[in-house]
Amino acid sequence: MNYPTEAEARLALESVRQGRQQVVDEIGMPWWYWWGLAAAWIVLGLLANFDVPWWVVTIATVAVGAVHATVSRRVFAGRQRTGDVRVRGDVAAERGMLLVIGFLLVLVGVTIAVALGLSADGAGHPSIWASCFAAVLVVLGGPRMMLAIRNDAARRVIEE
Amino acid sequence: MSDGARFDELIHPATRLSVVALLAAADWADFAFIRDRLGLSDSALSKQLATLEEAGYVAIERPVSERRRRVRARLTPLGRERFTAHVAALQDIIAAPSG
Repeated sequence: MNYPTEAEARLALESVRQGRQQVVDEIGMPWWYWWGLAAAWIVLGLLANFDVPWWVVTIATVAVGAVHATVSRRVFAGRQRTGDVRVRGDVAAERGMLLVIGFLLVLVGVTIAVALGLSADGAGHPSIWASCFAAVLVVLGGPRMMLAIRNDAARRVIEE
Repeated sequence: MSDGARFDELIHPATRLSVVALLAAADWADFAFIRDRLGLSDSALSKQLATLEEAGYVAIERPVSERRRRVRARLTPLGRERFTAHVAALQDIIAAPSG
C-alpha cells in the first residue's frame, strides 16, 4: 500500500476541511425568523404601553415565548436552510441552540433596562421605544449570531 | 498507526475524499448540492457516488418531493467508520516524526 507523504496528507486533510465547510456554511435560520421575532417584540411593546389589561399582556408574552421556542427549535433542529442538505446534529451542536436562547434572554434584559431608563428620564412611550430598540438588535444581531455559530462549528470540525 | 486509524485507498483520491467529507458533516445531501458545492460535473459525481455505493460507504435515496425527483446521498455507518479511521491515519502521518 502506498501511504501518502506528510505534504500529501496535509493536502488531503485540507480537502476534508473544505468538504465539511460546505455543509457548515448551511447552518442558519431563515430570514423570516428574525423579522417575525422583531415584529412580535414590537407588538409586546405596544401592548405594554397602552392600557391593556395585565392578563392580556401576560398571555401575549407567554404565547410569543411558546411560539418562539417551538419555531426556533423546529427550524434550528431541522438544520435545513435550503432543503438541499441536512446538517448533522453534532455539527450544528446544541451549543448553537443555547446561543439562540441566550441571545433572547439578553434581549429581554436589554428591553427592560432601556424601558426603565427611558421612563426614569421622563420619555413618553418607553416600552414602545425599548421594544423597537430590541427589534433592531434582533434583525441586525440575529444573522451575525448565526455567523458566529457557523464559525464555531467550522472551528470544531477543524479541531476534530 | 494509532488505534482506530486506518488508511483507506478507496476514500483517499481527492475528489472522493471531498465528497465523503461533505457527507460526513450531513445527515444527507442532495446530488445537486454536492455537485455545485464541489464544482463537479454530473458524470464525475455519479461515478464517484457509484464507486462509494458499491463499496457500501454511501447509500443513494430517491425521494419524490413536490413532484420533483431528487437524488440524495448519505454516508452509511460503514462509510462513516472508514472515513473517521482514514482521517485519523492522515493525522498520524502528519504527527509522525519525519525522517
